[in-house]
Amino acid sequence: MSVLTHSETKLQPRAAAVPRPWLRDTLIATLPPLLFCVLLAIGWEAMARYRSSPLLPGLTDIWLELKDIAVSGDAVTQIGITLQRIFLGFIVAYAIAIAIGLASARSRIAKTFFEPALVLGLTVPGLVWALLCVIWFGLSLQASVFAIALGIAPALALSITQGLSAVDAQLIEAAHVFRLSRRAMLRHLWLPAIMPYLLSGARLGFSLAWKVVVLVEIFGLSSGVGYRLNSAFSSQNVAAMLAWTLAFTMMMAFIEYGIMQSIERRVTRWKRVARV
Amino acid sequence: MSAVIQFRHVDKSYLRRNSSTPETVLKHFSLEVARGELVAVVGPSGIGKTTLLHLAAGLEAPDAGTVTLGAGTRPSRLGMVFQQPRLFEWRSVGQNIDLAADAAGVDPALGRKLLAEVELGNYADAFPLSLSGGQRQRVALARAFAVDPDVILLDEPFSALDELTARRLRALLQRLWANASPTGLLVTHNTLEAAFLADRVIVLGGPPVRIERIIEIDRPRPRATEDSYFFDVHREILGTLEAAA
Repeated sequence: MSVLTHSETKLQPRAAAVPRPWLRDTLIATLPPLLFCVLLAIGWEAMARYRSSPLLPGLTDIWLELKDIAVSGDAVTQIGITLQRIFLGFIVAYAIAIAIGLASARSRIAKTFFEPALVLGLTVPGLVWALLCVIWFGLSLQASVFAIALGIAPALALSITQGLSAVDAQLIEAAHVFRLSRRAMLRHLWLPAIMPYLLSGARLGFSLAWKVVVLVEIFGLSSGVGYRLNSAFSSQNVAAMLAWTLAFTMMMAFIEYGIMQSIERRVTRWKRVARV
Repeated sequence: MSAVIQFRHVDKSYLRRNSSTPETVLKHFSLEVARGELVAVVGPSGIGKTTLLHLAAGLEAPDAGTVTLGAGTRPSRLGMVFQQPRLFEWRSVGQNIDLAADAAGVDPALGRKLLAEVELGNYADAFPLSLSGGQRQRVALARAFAVDPDVILLDEPFSALDELTARRLRALLQRLWANASPTGLLVTHNTLEAAFLADRVIVLGGPPVRIERIIEIDRPRPRATEDSYFFDVHREILGTLEAAA
């Protein structure tokens, strides 16, 4: 029969804390995605060398194209134009989505009324909106703005409706008891409560918007990343197509990691406090 | 003494789900709470005690009769402490208190003073989630008093806390009450708490709610928790509740 002494029990504290836990966290956060990118690049290069075809350019060709559009300033100009269209489309989409979301969260009739619109909007492919808007609005800014708005508003509206419905009824009661004004309730209760939903909606909307705006630019505009992609496609320049895609992806990554995540960290900092 | 909280011949019924007949909670119910008085309401679960507070807070309207607080239909300033702290977790402790004070048009300096009184003076910038349950309920107490209230409604304010913390908070409530002397209505399951805190304990039976007994608490403040008198009242209340069941 074995006898457990105090020194052998599981209750004793750990001998030493994990050294520099932040370093471990940083490595876990950065190394695996970096490894993925390196493996992808190696795989791509191997494939390109094996095929040895201009339709499958190597990393050097893509890099040269990328350097070319960056140095000439074209990348900044065209990405700027595309982002401006996305931004304007976003404003229109948010206005529509907040109106539908508020109405749906407050009234069951409004919720059932808008339901078919949301289902329809979520199922119609972005390509259809792009084509329709080019036909309706011609070669204009409105075409891209409305195609984006129609493409992403349903997903945003759904997200906002869910967020508003999830606001704690007990907090709303407390706000009424303490007679908070409508403005104070909006600022200190409704907006912070739905902020995570607004942010996730914005993320989803952003990725959808990029896909829609590129289509509009391909079909009916003479500027923007989509237009440049179409030009590269016409001349069978795959390296240029990949360079433009990479450039825009890098911009999207900057927006995600540099802007969206820092906004998210700021607005949800109240969640990351140690409990006593 | 004039009544500050007044229920006059109040009827209230609810239509439960999957039922076509309304369930009567209050029928010709009347109750008056005099200025500066703290009345505790005890009774079996689900009888309608919280309905009384909701009617008093203006969160629900009576089907018939009137509920009056202060001079008008609502008091000029109302504070409330709930079973859960109900703080805006995304706002700091200080902001939570300031919001209530600001809505009531009261100087925020009172809130800061109260925060110090509830021993959380250094936590004004902390977020509620960084505090323990007892500390959060202290903030809720400070918020209720920060509106310089005419009336305070207490809905089982300490029932979610461990007994030791609850005991400390009852003593704290007693101190705050002595300084502000508002009029109050306390709903609680804890009969000893009712006896310790209140000037008058109303024992309810039903449904519909009826007053089984009114017990006047004949003890000056500050009160000592160990006073055997409160245990006698506690037994008396329990006896009444058992007899009414």
